[in-house]
Amino acid sequence: MNADQARTILELEGIHLSFGRKEILRGVDLKVREGEVVVLIGASGSGKTSLLRCINLLNTPRSGRIAINSEPIFEAGPTDNGISKVAPTEVNRIRAKTGMVFQQFNLFPHMTILENIMEGPVIVKRETPSEVETRARALLDQMGLADHASKKPAQLSGGQQQRVAIARALAMRPTLMLFDEPTSALDPELVGEVLKAMVELARSGMTMVVVTHELGFAFEIANRIVFLDGGVVVADGSPQQLLLHPDHPRLKGFVNRFHETADMLRPFLEAK
Amino acid sequence: MDMSVVYNNAPLLWYGVLYTLYYTLITVTGGLVLGLVVGLIQFSRYKALVFLGWLFVEFFRNIPLLVILLWTYYALPIFLNINIDKGIAGFLALTCYGAAFYAEILRAGIQSIDVGQSDAAVALGMSYGQRMRRIILPQAFRRMIPPLVGQSIMQMKNTSLLSTITVPDLLYQAGYISSFTYKPMEVYTAVGILFLIMLVPLTVLSRMLERRQSAVK
Repeated sequence: MNADQARTILELEGIHLSFGRKEILRGVDLKVREGEVVVLIGASGSGKTSLLRCINLLNTPRSGRIAINSEPIFEAGPTDNGISKVAPTEVNRIRAKTGMVFQQFNLFPHMTILENIMEGPVIVKRETPSEVETRARALLDQMGLADHASKKPAQLSGGQQQRVAIARALAMRPTLMLFDEPTSALDPELVGEVLKAMVELARSGMTMVVVTHELGFAFEIANRIVFLDGGVVVADGSPQQLLLHPDHPRLKGFVNRFHETADMLRPFLEAK
Repeated sequence: MDMSVVYNNAPLLWYGVLYTLYYTLITVTGGLVLGLVVGLIQFSRYKALVFLGWLFVEFFRNIPLLVILLWTYYALPIFLNINIDKGIAGFLALTCYGAAFYAEILRAGIQSIDVGQSDAAVALGMSYGQRMRRIILPQAFRRMIPPLVGQSIMQMKNTSLLSTITVPDLLYQAGYISSFTYKPMEVYTAVGILFLIMLVPLTVLSRMLERRQSAVK
């Protein structure tokens, strides 16, 4: 697919974010087109997770403009003090079109796996429970978790919980999926199953924005890699360009710190 | 010990038990409802409401109940220049006092829920009300059951202070009986036993709930 012709799913313009006096993001612009998989990388403290959390307004920027599917979810000028022009009910409506997967899974522990997946569509979108259940069971099946529908999250492994979290987000039929370091809290042997689910999702054409430390995975899954440093986008391009031929000094330093990862890239490179 | 005074005055004591249970019921209910409001407004985005909730809790938590009770019965009517029935005064004082503690239990319970839960609910597009009703409060309430039962037990014991404003609760009846039988030992022993009979089942229930909860998580 020609990425230039695909419609824009996500648009960020001039995003500024501060926590108290601390400036986290200083004017980030980012456009994501339908079907693109964009991976945000950067050192800790570079603002990549903060930026991801701005997309569905878990973090409220001080100023800037965010639109999902051309519908603004946030709009505030530099003098508006972070007061958005978009009404809260509208924000919730647009949020429901994005799915988010968290580092700590954040499943609802008082509900069964099936109830976790059905919660959003039934409560937020007010869909018919019986129809949602059919869809939820299909998603569980797709994630290889069909046998666990009536279990509680605490009875599952981290990798299984994270796959439930992906299913829970997909049940909302999102146009955009956000992943916040989805494998960082997992035991190493459980990382693969979650990455595999994400690769399948990417191949199915889902638009994704992913924050990850797994550069090898980023290389395999990303159409585009965005490198953040000091709260701004420093480099934005294809994985080959950014990870194999970094030209920005900061990016070079960052990639070189992942020597082992660079070694991990080699087999992928040879395969391509 | 001559327990016959207890049997002979059983109707009076029974009357006192009913009063004690009645005031426990209405002040626990009132306290929970008011405490829920006071506890929840402390999570409001309006600073004034948050302050109001804080003020209520600190005010009623830091004045001895006996002082609140006597003040409500003897001083408040003069301030407002109205008549306040002793039952109403007792209800108001105990309800507000209990509400302050219930509000604190609620606030601590809600705050103990991981922010990730709220994040996940927000990400699904849930409104504040949906988040509270579906995600936060069900989890918080489970954790709050043992302290809520504990506070309610305190509340029942605290109703004995109502006797100081002549509400005819169990303790008041005991004082009355011993004033004409001159048998305080027997009468007050009976009062202690009656409180034990009423409260021990509750504490056992609380323990059971606690154990069941730790089994769930």
